[in-house]
Amino acid sequence: MIHFISKRLKHSLVLLLLASLVCFTLVVSAPGNVAVLIAELRGAVATPGYVEQVAEEIGLNKPLLMRYVDWLGDAVRGDFGISYRTGQDVSADLANRMSVTGTLIAGGAAIATLISLALGFLGAFWPYKLPDRVSRGLALLGASTPTFFVGALVIYGFSVTFQLLPSFGFDGPQSWILPWLTVSVLPAAVLSRVVRVGLEEAMASPFVLTAKSKGLSRTAILFRDALPNITPIFINALGTQVGLMTATAIIVEPLFAWQGLGDYFLAGVRFRDFMVVQACLLIFLTFFILVNLIVDLAVLLTDPRIRRQWS
Amino acid sequence: MHNEPLLSVNNLTVDLLTSKSAVRPVDGVSYSVRQGECLAIVGESGSGKTVMNFAPLGLMPTGVTTNLSGSVRFEGQELIGLSEPEIRRFRGKSIGFIFQDPMSALNPVRRIGRQIAEMAELHLNMSPRAAEARALDLVKLVGISDPSARLRQFPHELSGGLRQRTVIAIALAGEPKLLIADEPTTALDVTVQAQILRLLKDLQQRLNMAMVLITHDMGVVAGAADNIVVMYAARAAERGPVDKVLVNPRHPYTQGLINAIPRREDPIGSEFRGLPGVPPTLGAPINGCAFAPRCELAVAACTRSRPPMAPAVDSKVSVACPVVNQGKAAA
Repeated sequence: MIHFISKRLKHSLVLLLLASLVCFTLVVSAPGNVAVLIAELRGAVATPGYVEQVAEEIGLNKPLLMRYVDWLGDAVRGDFGISYRTGQDVSADLANRMSVTGTLIAGGAAIATLISLALGFLGAFWPYKLPDRVSRGLALLGASTPTFFVGALVIYGFSVTFQLLPSFGFDGPQSWILPWLTVSVLPAAVLSRVVRVGLEEAMASPFVLTAKSKGLSRTAILFRDALPNITPIFINALGTQVGLMTATAIIVEPLFAWQGLGDYFLAGVRFRDFMVVQACLLIFLTFFILVNLIVDLAVLLTDPRIRRQWS
Repeated sequence: MHNEPLLSVNNLTVDLLTSKSAVRPVDGVSYSVRQGECLAIVGESGSGKTVMNFAPLGLMPTGVTTNLSGSVRFEGQELIGLSEPEIRRFRGKSIGFIFQDPMSALNPVRRIGRQIAEMAELHLNMSPRAAEARALDLVKLVGISDPSARLRQFPHELSGGLRQRTVIAIALAGEPKLLIADEPTTALDVTVQAQILRLLKDLQQRLNMAMVLITHDMGVVAGAADNIVVMYAARAAERGPVDKVLVNPRHPYTQGLINAIPRREDPIGSEFRGLPGVPPTLGAPINGCAFAPRCELAVAACTRSRPPMAPAVDSKVSVACPVVNQGKAAA
């Protein structure tokens, strides 16, 4: 177990290093000159001389690899530099914004899990009957509706028409419900199919015949025999969906005026604020890799056959 | 009432309907099993021996509609026509099941102990703790070494023989009166086969259970069974006490089967004595005797109407063959 974790951590570190290098290169090689923007922002006339001075000041003239090493060295120590746009410490901004995005993803993942299990079980309990068809229809609808449209719909429904919930802001659980709902629709739709198909497959296994011969009811077999068998598959799929929620956050946070990482990232991209963009990307990457690591550990705990290979 | 057999099957016919096809894997078969008796049902693959035992108890794969007719009485109660919840009460409690492939019959992600103990919780109304204790007793009963450690293990940590012993322990957990074993030794190593068969036979006698042993292994039949039903193409060909049927088979199919067993005096490398021809495909209705096209004794009458099961000279044995039964009448 310890061996497994240390090995996976080493892999993750290498992966993180490579991925961050790729991101850094891409961001830096994007067209446009941030020095011009900064010069204009400072109110000065952007003469070529002043632009050059700004570029020198923020280190744009150094070789690419040097810039990467400098940046990474600082980042590891928790210093993500200073935002070109606001002049504020990026690290200080990140701390607040991470908790906002964390709230969004955690709530969204929890709701997606509940909805997908409910829909999946509904379908598996009455396969090819009406509840199954409804659950399949909802999944298709949920998976094919763009998130920004879902967001607009829930705002229109819950805030504008029935005035039940606030349409924007980040103050208290009431204001969290609509964003949670919005981010959870797509993962819930995808995961409900994972549950439904996984359960059907498990219910066709020979050990289900054994369970039937024991005199267990169909409900008992679904929960006692089939569910433990799909848990590793479900955790795997959930991990992927949670990772992808970082991308959804970029759309959903501005929609609900949440000052999270997605919103921060978007603002950074608009202004070519490399420091912000790179910091966000590094956090997204770390989050993705961390989620994968947790998923692998969780699968290890829920599937004794895999556990054996590593113990 | 005391004389009524534990299980009595009369003229049982099973039709399986899927969305595309309809087949009749069991066609008018009758037999009975008394308490403490072991009945072997033999026949080749597809002869209907498994469906005949599983379908009346609702143990068919989902998506298949079964149509049952005839009568299956267990302890005097008719099983055919019961709803699924009513039939479920027999499964596990009165009737235990053992399956062919122990490698896939156990849930891979649940501990052995739980899989046995849940039977005791379900059928003997035991608390989880008492059920665990019962599971330990059962694991000892079926001869698993290091029992308390085994209970905490998962199926993949056990060998095929140990897994089959676990399946047997599960089948016994509800204290059944009848054990239905579907080819319990087929998927095992030869050396393990003998152990498992001896264990089953021993348990059956000690616990005074009835057992239906579905097999295609004549060695298993000879070693364990009291009576035998020989199945061919969904129908019973011959029925009677094992010592009579194996020593003096009357139906041409039974004769062919027994003749096909390799003998010690056969030279090494000699060809198997198989039966000529192939069994009929299920689905097409057969008017006469199903075995007639492959039968050396067949006469014109064989293909005209289905031969009834009739007592042979020794009235304990019944044979569904007009030629054999005709000869008896002439004699």
